[in-house]
Amino acid sequence: MQSKLSDIELIEQTLAGNQSAYADLVKRHQRFVFTLAMRFAKNREDAEEIAQDCFIKAYRSLASFQRQSKFSTWLYSIVYTTAMTFLRKKRIDTSSIDDEATYIQIENKPGTYDVNNIENKSRSYYLNQAIEQLLPDDAAIITLFYKGEQSLEEIAQALGIEANTVKVKLFRARQRLKEKLERNLKHEVKELI
Amino acid sequence: MNSIEEKLWNYIDGNCSIDEHKAIATLIANNEAYKSKYNELLLLNNEFTGMEMDEPPMAFTYKVMETIRTENARQPLKAAIDTRIILGISAFFIITVAALLVFAFSTVNWTAGTTIKTPELIKLPAIKSYFTGPLIKGFLFFDLVMGLFLLDNYLRKKSGLKHH
Repeated sequence: MQSKLSDIELIEQTLAGNQSAYADLVKRHQRFVFTLAMRFAKNREDAEEIAQDCFIKAYRSLASFQRQSKFSTWLYSIVYTTAMTFLRKKRIDTSSIDDEATYIQIENKPGTYDVNNIENKSRSYYLNQAIEQLLPDDAAIITLFYKGEQSLEEIAQALGIEANTVKVKLFRARQRLKEKLERNLKHEVKELI
Repeated sequence: MNSIEEKLWNYIDGNCSIDEHKAIATLIANNEAYKSKYNELLLLNNEFTGMEMDEPPMAFTYKVMETIRTENARQPLKAAIDTRIILGISAFFIITVAALLVFAFSTVNWTAGTTIKTPELIKLPAIKSYFTGPLIKGFLFFDLVMGLFLLDNYLRKKSGLKHH
């Protein structure tokens, strides 16, 4: 059962030495942090490592959290920097938003599109598949906007960019996601959109 | 200039001004191209909103908390103590020493002579008598025993680490 206390109250209890309060914070945010890490890492093992690292980093610097933003916004900025460092270590170039070469292999994965199985697969399956094919930046912005309950300004703060840039990136990311969905579903997309 | 799609996304997200909102609403109501595009994007927006999130492993919270507990256990005492406490203690000692110095200098009779004389009433103990041969030998022997004890402890710890 999750705590009904607010994030700030849990942070105060953690800083006072109550570690179980931090466990409640982890439980509350782990699903989204893990999802966001998955958008960057593209596999569960790496995503788990990134997500764990984020919560440990957040715990270490909890006293420096200024409370001028939501805890989630602060936490997502840690996810973003941790994921970027992790990807750099793994030598995956994610710096250019237009560089899709890295992810061509995912798109061309055998068995990705199988007409006979389409009817059996849910819409969410195709949506998740399309998100997986996006570049990490695009996937992260879409996830933060739709699932992270973050405004454009908060996303900008988490990613360390301007709110207007986020707006443009979100627009382009949605366009790309729509294209991926169309490509994956072909004629089934007519039913979806 | 904004494309139809960009305008409609701004309308759906609520990122446009009141005037723009009204203008786009009118276009959706009267323009067939806008209307069909709006319905298409609205459906897509609903799909995105309903996207599923990934579930972390069952023991995720436990693993995070275990790592934190292990790190805390390893933390040296210096890092565990709040720096404000250390600063407070330092400030207390500095202030005390400063106050004592001020008090001492203020009570000194600067007009008196420079020769230091021990008051006649105070009898200094005969220090030399303590440093007799047997006492020094006993002290050195105790030091030697303590030294050997510490060396033994150190070597035991070192060999224990190697075994692990």
